[in-house]
Amino acid sequence: MDFALIHNLSIGFGVALSLQNLMYCFFGVLLGTLIGVLPGIGPVATIAMLLPVTFNLSPISALIMLAGIYYGAQYGGSTTAILVNLPGESSSVVTCLDGYQMARQGRAGPALAIAAMGSFFAGCVATVIIALFAPPLAEVALKFGPAEYFSLMVLGLVGATVLAHGSLVKAIAMTILGLLLGVVGTDVNSGIARFSFGISELSDGINFVVVAMGVFGFTEIIVNLEQGEAREVFVNKVTGLMPTWKDLKDSSGAILRGTALGSALGILPGGGALLSSFAAYTLEKKIGDTSKFGKGEIRGVAAPESANNAGAQTSFIPLLTLGIPSNPVMALMIGAMMIQGIAPGPQVMTERPELFWGMIASMWIGNLMLVILNLPLIGMWVKLLTVPYRMLYPSILLFCCVGVFSLSNAPFDVMLTALFGLLGYIFVKLECEPAPLILGFILGPLMEENLRRAMLLSRGDATVFFTKPISGVLLGIAVALLLITLAPAVQKTREEAFVE
Amino acid sequence: MHIKNGKDFWAGLMFVGFGVWFMLVSLNYPMGSAVRMGPAYFPTVLGGLLAVLGGMVFFRAFFSKIDHPFKVFAFRPLLLVAAIVVGGATYFASDLLKDAPMVEFALTGLALLLFVGAFGPRSMFLILLACGIFGYALKPLGLVLSIVILIVVSAAGGHDFRKIEIAYLTVGLVLFGVLVFVKGLGLPFNLWPGE
Repeated sequence: MDFALIHNLSIGFGVALSLQNLMYCFFGVLLGTLIGVLPGIGPVATIAMLLPVTFNLSPISALIMLAGIYYGAQYGGSTTAILVNLPGESSSVVTCLDGYQMARQGRAGPALAIAAMGSFFAGCVATVIIALFAPPLAEVALKFGPAEYFSLMVLGLVGATVLAHGSLVKAIAMTILGLLLGVVGTDVNSGIARFSFGISELSDGINFVVVAMGVFGFTEIIVNLEQGEAREVFVNKVTGLMPTWKDLKDSSGAILRGTALGSALGILPGGGALLSSFAAYTLEKKIGDTSKFGKGEIRGVAAPESANNAGAQTSFIPLLTLGIPSNPVMALMIGAMMIQGIAPGPQVMTERPELFWGMIASMWIGNLMLVILNLPLIGMWVKLLTVPYRMLYPSILLFCCVGVFSLSNAPFDVMLTALFGLLGYIFVKLECEPAPLILGFILGPLMEENLRRAMLLSRGDATVFFTKPISGVLLGIAVALLLITLAPAVQKTREEAFVE
Repeated sequence: MHIKNGKDFWAGLMFVGFGVWFMLVSLNYPMGSAVRMGPAYFPTVLGGLLAVLGGMVFFRAFFSKIDHPFKVFAFRPLLLVAAIVVGGATYFASDLLKDAPMVEFALTGLALLLFVGAFGPRSMFLILLACGIFGYALKPLGLVLSIVILIVVSAAGGHDFRKIEIAYLTVGLVLFGVLVFVKGLGLPFNLWPGE
């Protein structure tokens, strides 16, 4: 097995180290850092925007670049959190708490350095974890039939709702709304165009990018404008990057714990960078000397920054082995694979090993590039933060509109995106988390298809989902997750965890 | 009854509305059976579930321990009514308007504008308007003019509109758009009207 791993990794590095792929990896992490640093544009909008462009790339270059954007954004987000007290990325929210305090005490340099070092360490570990655990998982997944896939998707959606912020009922309702929106378009079995009202553009279904860009991209701009901007940038105070020996000693444990927690939570359906960073910060606050938290504790930077990077990377595991996205970014990666004519699922690893291993190798290379990009070039990123938002958002809008338009050269798509922007604004105001909606949207057609097939195979016997062993276990876990969340004691701590 | 949680109240209504709407529209398609599910099966079941969950959220609004004001965001009911009237009239008069597609297009557009204008702050209206115009102007007017419209209209949605700054930004983005989108990425946009 070890030999196979080395063999596979050597294939991967062979692919990832080609000049072309190195270039796209660099471009991806550079762009990722850029959008990570800039508040108001995240990896979802950026990847959505670049999807049409990837059509002209080779599949492996496209995936390497898009993956780089996601984990690159985790690095960039910490810079903004520490220097401006604004999360450049939602996963850096908790980094603001102690990172900004460190910056106010004139210790921005060590905070940034520890964040980058922790991220690099976590990125390396997560890469190894993917390489070790993905192949056996894919082997199990190859045995899956329609019933197992349906149950797996139920588990994924339940996971996404349980881990979403706020009310559980609302999160479930958002998931179902997403499933329903995913059903819009021509039904593959009967050829009937559902919910299209004679609009030809709708009979092909709503494009995933339209929903994601509207609900995330446009909505974010609208909400940002409503809140107005108030920024205090510690531009001139970044002096002395090197952390002291004591900083390193203090944070090493936090980095290890953050990495472990982030790697585990990234694999969970609904998990990823955001959840990992919250959980790591909460854990850190329960261990050892807690008196300095909120007042510039370096562990409060090290743990969440390691965790979000680890989580961002291990969330590729369910995508690469099962073909199931665990968060909106992974859903976009599925879209990218489909554009390239690759059906995501366990067969990717056996049929296209160069794709799978090339991407994993590129993650390690990309992490190395990120440390180089982030530490010495920090001054450049800081300058970017002085660009006022009133100039930034029209530019972001232009990129979004061009991206959506080029999906199929249809003005209708741009208009529909605008309407989803409105819907997204209403969601935010009503405290309805949009992430479960997006997951439901991408899984809707797949779930319906597998449900139909499973029911046809079992001749209408719905108990098949519980009597088949794998399917039964998956549904059992889903039910257990729901019950645990509904238990009042957990409900209380869950609220606390998200309030902080 | 006193509504304690305005956010739950409206969210519940929204979910019930979506659920019932999906169920009603599904009536037009064959239901099939559990063995051979028709196109209506999946959306009907899910629509029903959504309506039930929406009802739970709605009733929770009256007993919630969390207080939120009834008015969650700016809402202009008159504009919404106007949007429904114009949109409905256009839909039912579509046979009459067959020979005048431009009139139908304009009426649909008006209904959408009224609809978007019924919710939220002024900046949202301007931003979404800018995007909508951009989409429909790109082919007839070309990339250059469309970018100018998008930037100027969306910038008007900000807090302070600085003419000179916006002029520089517009010129910069037009150059960027032409060089990167058209020359670099090879996207099939015409630059000027009627090309």
